[in-house]
Amino acid sequence: MDFIGIKSDEELFSDIPSSIRKKGIPISRGISEYEVMRLAEEIGSANTGYNYANFMGCGIYDRIIPSAVDSVIGRSEFITSYTPYQAEFSQGMLQSLFEYQSLISDLTGMDMTNSSIYDGATALGEAVRMAHRINEKTEILVPENLYRSKMDVIHSYSSGLNLKFISYSFEKKTGYIDLEDLASKISANTSAIICENPNSFGVIDPNVMKVQEIKGEALLITYVDPVSLGVVVPPGSYGADISVSEGQQLGIHREFGGPLLGLFSFRKEYLRKSPGRIIGLTSDSKGKRAFVMTIQTREQHIRREKATSNICTNQALMALASAVYLSIVGPEGIRKIANVTISQAKKLKDAVSSVRGYDAKFLSGTSFSDVLVRMPGDPADIQRALFEKGILGPIPSSSLFPNLEAFAKSGFFSVTEKTSDGNIRFLADSLGAIQ
Amino acid sequence: MSYHQATYDERLLNEFRSGSTFKIPGDGSAAEKLLPSGMARKELPLPSLAEYDAVRHFTRLSQMNYSVDLGIYPLGSCTMKYNPKYADKIVSMEQFAEMHPLQPDYSVQGSLRIMYELQEYLKKISDMDAVTLQPLAGAHGEFTGILIVRKYLEDTGQLDMRREIIVPDSAHGTNPASAAMGGFNVVEVPSDSTGMVDIDALRSALSEKTAALMITNPSTLGLFERNVVQIAKLVHDAGALLYYDGANFNAILGITSPGIMGFDIVHFNLHKTFATPHGGGGPGAGPVAVKKRLEKYLPIPRIGFDGKRYFEDFSSDKSVGRVSPYYGAFGVLLRAWAYITYHGSDGLEANSRKAVLNTNYVSRRLSEYLSDPYGGVKKHEVVLSSSNTGERALDIAKYLIDNGVHAPTIYFPLIVKEALMIEPTETVNRDDLDAFCDAVIGSLKAGHEDLHQRPVNLSVGRIDEIKAARDQILTWSAIKK
Ligand SMILES: Cc1ncc(COP(=O)(O)O)c(C=O)c1O
Repeated sequence: MDFIGIKSDEELFSDIPSSIRKKGIPISRGISEYEVMRLAEEIGSANTGYNYANFMGCGIYDRIIPSAVDSVIGRSEFITSYTPYQAEFSQGMLQSLFEYQSLISDLTGMDMTNSSIYDGATALGEAVRMAHRINEKTEILVPENLYRSKMDVIHSYSSGLNLKFISYSFEKKTGYIDLEDLASKISANTSAIICENPNSFGVIDPNVMKVQEIKGEALLITYVDPVSLGVVVPPGSYGADISVSEGQQLGIHREFGGPLLGLFSFRKEYLRKSPGRIIGLTSDSKGKRAFVMTIQTREQHIRREKATSNICTNQALMALASAVYLSIVGPEGIRKIANVTISQAKKLKDAVSSVRGYDAKFLSGTSFSDVLVRMPGDPADIQRALFEKGILGPIPSSSLFPNLEAFAKSGFFSVTEKTSDGNIRFLADSLGAIQ
Repeated sequence: MSYHQATYDERLLNEFRSGSTFKIPGDGSAAEKLLPSGMARKELPLPSLAEYDAVRHFTRLSQMNYSVDLGIYPLGSCTMKYNPKYADKIVSMEQFAEMHPLQPDYSVQGSLRIMYELQEYLKKISDMDAVTLQPLAGAHGEFTGILIVRKYLEDTGQLDMRREIIVPDSAHGTNPASAAMGGFNVVEVPSDSTGMVDIDALRSALSEKTAALMITNPSTLGLFERNVVQIAKLVHDAGALLYYDGANFNAILGITSPGIMGFDIVHFNLHKTFATPHGGGGPGAGPVAVKKRLEKYLPIPRIGFDGKRYFEDFSSDKSVGRVSPYYGAFGVLLRAWAYITYHGSDGLEANSRKAVLNTNYVSRRLSEYLSDPYGGVKKHEVVLSSSNTGERALDIAKYLIDNGVHAPTIYFPLIVKEALMIEPTETVNRDDLDAFCDAVIGSLKAGHEDLHQRPVNLSVGRIDEIKAARDQILTWSAIKK
């Protein structure tokens, strides 16, 4: 204070008119670290179900996370740094993000991937905006069963644009895209078609591969499950122009739904229309390999109101987690994880369908993680009864696609590679017992 | 000077050959027959390396990355303060980390309580009436605020007429970008010679077409907008809303607030003011607070409490809907809750006072060497210019990082030539402030030639950005063999 020439720090606030001064914050006074931890524990003890037999998925999954993932992303060099504005000082994060872009591009079979969007739903919102930027057309075709929460987010994202959302239906027997209905809705005004794989019924849909034959000039936006890509053909091979995903399954804890990770990949001709930060390879003054943020003339700090997106802070640490995860799991690992998931889904289908009143086979398509089940009662009541037995699930379909009344009495039980045969039996037995 | 960053010629992941060591239980052999025909993936070109190689790779990379835990990180507008370790522990408790967002209310009372208490904290800090925690970063909060402006105008039948959002020329790029994303036209108003919003220019920009004014206070120049009360009156008299970019909240905790100043909508950057780690670029969280008359437009669900239990409140039928699929970045919200609980009313205000003191100390020391375009007392940050020295801000920045201290934000705000935007925060000791100032002063004495060849002590030398933009090599498959 002496150095600045003031007697009290009050003098530093002399520029704030007294009429708008605040008299302190009316909350409790500070406490010690020890007390904060105890308080957090005490509040946390009102959370239950995290150690139950888990069958909740539908976008957020309980997968095996190698311990090394948390150990790497917990390194303070990564977690306490920020956007690598000073590239020479931040090569570690830059190279990691370049590797992330490469891994996700390889996984999805797409040309390019940005260094992350907030989550899968907002990535879908950005994809819709990008499609409209590319072709300036106004109609977006969406699956009728797209989760309401995703639909709400894309509505928000497009509220400044004059877009029209038109839904197309699915085949009642298989749960696949109804190609005839989709074809009838494609027009000269179609900007993009959104296709999911697996779709919102949890079904792996072979019809997505046929969309490229009927889409005409419309762009194809795919929303895919990244783990399924261990065994399922990638969107790059069936004509996707933009592909997005929720990346939480790639090494990130569920954490009550956030922070998550939006994967965002696209064909290279659309690079300049794409949102988000991008890392490029270059060299330093001596010719040594180096990495730097690039193609920034799309971004808000340069283009301001003409930017392709407003995104600034993104999900870099989550992108790092997924890169560490994929590097440890490797191609064989991700294949096996996907295969075990499909096998356990089949076992669950069989087991649940054997319980009177439950039908997990009314859609004939192959399920990946999420198994849609018709139930004899209100899914929320069944959820409560199972909870009392130590089981988490089902997720009622009415909370995901309330528009489809035919599914009011159905819900999802989801599996991952963590789902044991024993827990599947426990679920079937418990369903039998609560009747 | 003895600083030297760790340097490795680190290979790319796909240049490792050790083969994966990963194992899981279970048998997936039944799966192949279950895949619909034509849907089986043939090639999966991912790298295959041993876990020990992956961990060593990323550990070596981490050593080529500067961070807050290594020292001062005075990146202006980013509030790079120390991130407390108790928050790391709390977010990794399984009763928080392993919760599914679609679990029923009765099983998530702990998480809901944390969020409810955070909503209450933010209301009391900002003197606003209602909060949503759903936005996922500052820019996402701005966009949410813009959606609220839209909904309010639609609801009151003014949307067709009020198409303009005014932002000062000192605004952060996300402000105009968010306004444009919401479908508004952006009108820029200049700052006057003292760095304040030019009141006459604002008067003539305001009209029956104005939807809102977005401002940051203290501004991105680190100055408190003295005319804020008058500005609020002008904006409200014109029938428009007043938006507060809360990125710079670290200057005013307990001292003043956007609610008292007359703002209608505010976003917070929890990753700045409330010390949640920046994660190398994210995640963040950008809650939004509003005054009573706008409460019904907030995204749903919000978190309610009926005196006994916490619940998801979907009750508003005028809501803008959802901006993200769940509750927001819960892990970030939990850390911010822990930070606010730890510091409390006394600690938060003391932090702001110390942050401002530190800034003024640096400002006083450095304004003898660099020009201070606006003078006056500073708040959380100071923007100086090197244009009086003949050295570019970029070169000074490279000298600083070469000496082991992070550089300030440079070339922002756009209205200051050769800008160096310095935000020391409260979590730096006097010796480190001096070392930083000495390094800046050292850069001015080093001479052109020395500056141009820097950095030499880091893992790479000066990077060729033009080549990166020209070559567009964004994945390892694009590298020419
Ligand atoms: C003044 C200001 N406003 C808004 C933002 C955007 O916040 P975020 O990066 O969290 O999206 C920033 C971030 O740097 C900022 O400094």
